Amino acid sequence: MTNPRPYALLAEITYRCPLHCPYCSNPIAVACADAVESAVPSGDTAEPNALRTAHTTAELSTDEWKRVIREAADLGILQIGFSGGEPLARRDLPDLIRAAREANLYSNLITSGIGLDDDRLCALRDAGLDSIQLSFQSDNTNLADEIAGTRAHQHKLDVAAKIRAANIPLSLNFVIHRRNIDRLPQMIELAESLHAERVELANVQFYGWAFLNRAALLPTREQVVRAREIATAAKARLAGKIDIFYVLPDYYENRPKPCLSGWGQRYLTVNPIGEVLPCPTASSAIPDLRFENVRARDLDWIWRESESFNRFRGTEWMPEPCQSCPQREIDFGGCRCQAALLTGNAANTDPVCELSPNRASVDAVLHELDSLGYHAPAWTYRTNPKGSPVASPHVAASR
Amino acid sequence: MQTPAIASSAQPRLTRGVRLQTDSKTGNSVLLFPEGVLELNETAQEILNRCDGRTVNEIIQALAEEYDVDPKMLAVDVEETLADLKRRKLIELT
Repeated sequence: MTNPRPYALLAEITYRCPLHCPYCSNPIAVACADAVESAVPSGDTAEPNALRTAHTTAELSTDEWKRVIREAADLGILQIGFSGGEPLARRDLPDLIRAAREANLYSNLITSGIGLDDDRLCALRDAGLDSIQLSFQSDNTNLADEIAGTRAHQHKLDVAAKIRAANIPLSLNFVIHRRNIDRLPQMIELAESLHAERVELANVQFYGWAFLNRAALLPTREQVVRAREIATAAKARLAGKIDIFYVLPDYYENRPKPCLSGWGQRYLTVNPIGEVLPCPTASSAIPDLRFENVRARDLDWIWRESESFNRFRGTEWMPEPCQSCPQREIDFGGCRCQAALLTGNAANTDPVCELSPNRASVDAVLHELDSLGYHAPAWTYRTNPKGSPVASPHVAASR
Repeated sequence: MQTPAIASSAQPRLTRGVRLQTDSKTGNSVLLFPEGVLELNETAQEILNRCDGRTVNEIIQALAEEYDVDPKMLAVDVEETLADLKRRKLIELT
């Protein structure tokens, strides 16, 4: 079998984040110590040495990330997304972006904006950052801050203006769920007023903290129908001005999403401690899969040879009804993590599919929601990994 | 799909945030933009390599000269390609 070639690397450089969004896709339980960062800008207060322990659960160092970036480019990767957690929590971010630029990668910063001021923005731009994706929780300050579990919304508005002024392409990302889905028109208005070029209206997908908080986050069928109409109309109205990407709430679909364009086909993720994942949520959703670490192996070997990347590659692994399905190279059997979380076996057909023998597991969740009426339960806020500071010292936002 | 008319005096340029570069794995040109990669065919590649402030008409003339073909034949291809790139917001016309 000829090996596919990856196009994009998601670099989750830290799980630390000053926000506490209950839909975060990061793993719920993660041991992750602070990084040994080699480039602390002068004038910056160094963090206490106690936090700078380096062991197997430590974040990758600056030099380790630089090596990963070079290996990614050698593998044919063209794009890198710096994500987290909050990637700005690492002071060496400009060095990593510079390394990406030198390796000819197109870089995208996926951020809450917390920790971004004029100086840092200039440093990132000068290092070669190509674009920024800024997250918003709502258009409404009170609701947005309630969802984030911290006061962040006003700061995000200021940051969006700074990004515009710095002439860096701006995408906005709204994660949509039961509590904010009815404000879709206002969120689209906000994107227009901030002059974003691109907007993702992404219905929450249930992994990590979102899976834990599913009962509080899952929208009702009526909400979903209405949101789809609004998104479709906005897409047509803003064509040529703002690109709108509407990510479907897949529990309400009859066929699964073509997750990752197929396992081990186009994407790879490196998490803060150096594990290489075919999918960012795989480490928590599929416990029986063992992941290789960049500290022990190079990316090329991991991409081509590792058990984790080959387990669900192609179509041979597929059970029925996927194996004989004409859609099998269109939706690739859906999402492996979802199959694992809802059926207990990652090799099953994604239970969202109406042909799956496990579709009842999804219908049961929807049925339970109907019985709740409009009384959604409270959610649990995301907490930071053990051994990490909640936020880096320059972050002003407080709970 | 409706094709917008492309004025021959317009100057096509890459949209801000879009990068044109060579894919080291294939040797072909690609456009890179937020969350996307577009692998270019030879026509698009030759056109975009000349989007350096020249007008559409100047680009057609330059290509006609280089490949020794009738500019009128080329014009359709060039305009279609530019219209497609414009629709994807990968180029701007000024």
